[in-house]
Amino acid sequence: MTPLGSIASAVLRATPWRLERRLEVEARRAALSRIGGAVGAMVLVGILLLLTGRNAFWIFWQALDAIFGRQRGIEGAALRAIPILMTALGVALSLRMKVWNIGSDGQFLMGALAAVGVGIHMDGPGWLVLILMAVAATLAGAVWILVPALARAYWDVNEIITTLLLNFVALQLVTWSALGFWRDKEAAVIQSTREVSHTLPGLPGANSVTIALLVPLVIAAALWWVFRSTTIGYEIDTIGGNPRAAGFAGIAVRRRILVVMLFTGAIAGLGGMLQLSAPGAQAMNAGFSAQFGLSGFIVAALAGASFWGVIGGGLFIASMFYAGIVLQTKGLSVYIIFAIYGVILTGIALGEIAARYRVVRRDADEAASHPGAAVGTEASREAGP
Amino acid sequence: MILAIIENAFLSLIGSAIPASAVVMLAATGAMLGERVGVLNLGQEGLIGIGAVYSVIAVLSWGVESPWLAMLIGMIAAAVAGLIFAVCVVAFRASQVLVGLALALGGIGLSNQLGTNRNGTPIQTLFREVNPGGILDNHDAVSAFLFHDPVVYIAYIGLPVVLWFVLFRTRHGMNMRAVGENPAAADAVGVSVTGWRIFYSVLGAALTGAGGAYMVLSFTPTWSPDIARGRGWVALAVVIFAGWRPGWAVAGALLYGSMISLDTTAQARGWGLPFMGASDLSFFLSMLPYVVTLVAILIPAGAVKLGRRVRSTAAPAALAIPYSREER
Repeated sequence: MTPLGSIASAVLRATPWRLERRLEVEARRAALSRIGGAVGAMVLVGILLLLTGRNAFWIFWQALDAIFGRQRGIEGAALRAIPILMTALGVALSLRMKVWNIGSDGQFLMGALAAVGVGIHMDGPGWLVLILMAVAATLAGAVWILVPALARAYWDVNEIITTLLLNFVALQLVTWSALGFWRDKEAAVIQSTREVSHTLPGLPGANSVTIALLVPLVIAAALWWVFRSTTIGYEIDTIGGNPRAAGFAGIAVRRRILVVMLFTGAIAGLGGMLQLSAPGAQAMNAGFSAQFGLSGFIVAALAGASFWGVIGGGLFIASMFYAGIVLQTKGLSVYIIFAIYGVILTGIALGEIAARYRVVRRDADEAASHPGAAVGTEASREAGP
Repeated sequence: MILAIIENAFLSLIGSAIPASAVVMLAATGAMLGERVGVLNLGQEGLIGIGAVYSVIAVLSWGVESPWLAMLIGMIAAAVAGLIFAVCVVAFRASQVLVGLALALGGIGLSNQLGTNRNGTPIQTLFREVNPGGILDNHDAVSAFLFHDPVVYIAYIGLPVVLWFVLFRTRHGMNMRAVGENPAAADAVGVSVTGWRIFYSVLGAALTGAGGAYMVLSFTPTWSPDIARGRGWVALAVVIFAGWRPGWAVAGALLYGSMISLDTTAQARGWGLPFMGASDLSFFLSMLPYVVTLVAILIPAGAVKLGRRVRSTAAPAALAIPYSREER
């Protein structure tokens, strides 16, 4: 029992309730608990804002109004949702086998860079150029995670640091392209690459959102189907549960890890192309990714590797992200948004733990009167595979 | 002649690499301290920021006049952040990866926010370089390795030696390693796994905070947003490269530092290659520290896989795994 645990149980002893470990945690309860953690974190942030003299309610109202008060707000959130959803889907896929791809920002950038490369150097019908841009972006994202994936799969090198280090390399490469080899020499103010002249067709009724918004939905549906109905999905989940057991069951664990990691990179890379093909975003500069990978990571952590959860969580985080951009003009800095992200992520992590416990009434379990037996079953369950 | 040029270049590279990666050295030692007892703190990047910004605040707003005191304040701030982290992951057993990333994000955001009004203000309260006196002056080979701040000596010599001695030559260190390798066994002989894990990860966070403080009190020496610029992540990589052995962290940190100083030297002198202009070369060189760090991580693992005899470079067995007596 930890010191904090003993404090907690001492406090609880004074009440008619006590904490009990759950024998089984259902996925839905865990998800609700994570959401509860995130909401609790936001309430905490609101209290902190109030304490520092900012009116949290007003800020909250402004954020809601900025997003849902006008079409521009909804479209602004939807535009941010595309890169966030794509990186989040990549991370969620890797989380299915307990692999942490923290480098989705780099894969996203490299995808966009490859797409720019194709787009500014190729002449041809728009649809063909766009398709080739998408192919190049997908490949570039996969290539960018190739070394960490090989190292993780065959040399057991922890993927967290390797994928993350490549984010810095990608950012430098993008900066180089914008200021150096693909620089637009006519652009006066912001230094960026030359512009791709093709954009994806817009969604009916929208001013700036293109059909790119449908891509993450299609991918989420495809992944959901793969994990529900195919052997490969089942094998990946088995590896996520227990890689050793998966190996004994005859699954080619290392090759699966490699392939899944390449897919996560490819999805993030395609996200880069989708971002690039929106009207007004057809060139790259050093600020091309506003840390979309990090937002995507938080979405995946919130959704706990459920692909439909990623869609819901992604739309939520994207709205928050857009609200953050709007609120910057009203005295909140982008830095505070990052600090808030940190608190929310901690809330999610604590919510995940809280789902494993429940509060029960003391007299209820005295009636059950077999505490020893309950402990015994739990111990034998934990000792299992 | 050629030899003298090479010697000169090498020495100036090392001479600027040493202070350039003192931050990495401090953060790597801090991270290693936590990881040895089984706590993986991915928040190094945030801790550097917090340590740096509170040292800046101490100097610019609280009128602290001693760099040591300013550094101590930075360390305390980072230790408080480290305590929040440790309570979440050790006492509550939340995911170390998630809370660590939260600390990285939150630390960067918080420190940038606190530093907003202090961007670019020069810091006057600085560490002074140690000058061993007369006879050693004016010799390149000597000045590359000497004439640094006291913090540099602590980071490269003091801390690794102390940590190595404690870890491998004392009973206390044996218990520490046991907590990281086999917490159940440590628990059985009466070592409080929770207490040790919280204590050493907080101490490690303070060391990383000292790294951030060193940046603003000697290296840059001013506050700028995103002050760590990836050094926290590099420090985590250095720990892996070093195989969790304190002495090897020096090699890893210097490797990164020399890549950094290669970049700055090339930029300052306008170096170019026949096939690559000066500006392109500097873009290329600015990617190099991270690429080299990445390759460095692969070396120990690759050496093991390719059948070379290397002494144990594996991570502590219980790294990032929460310990609970009930779940043994």
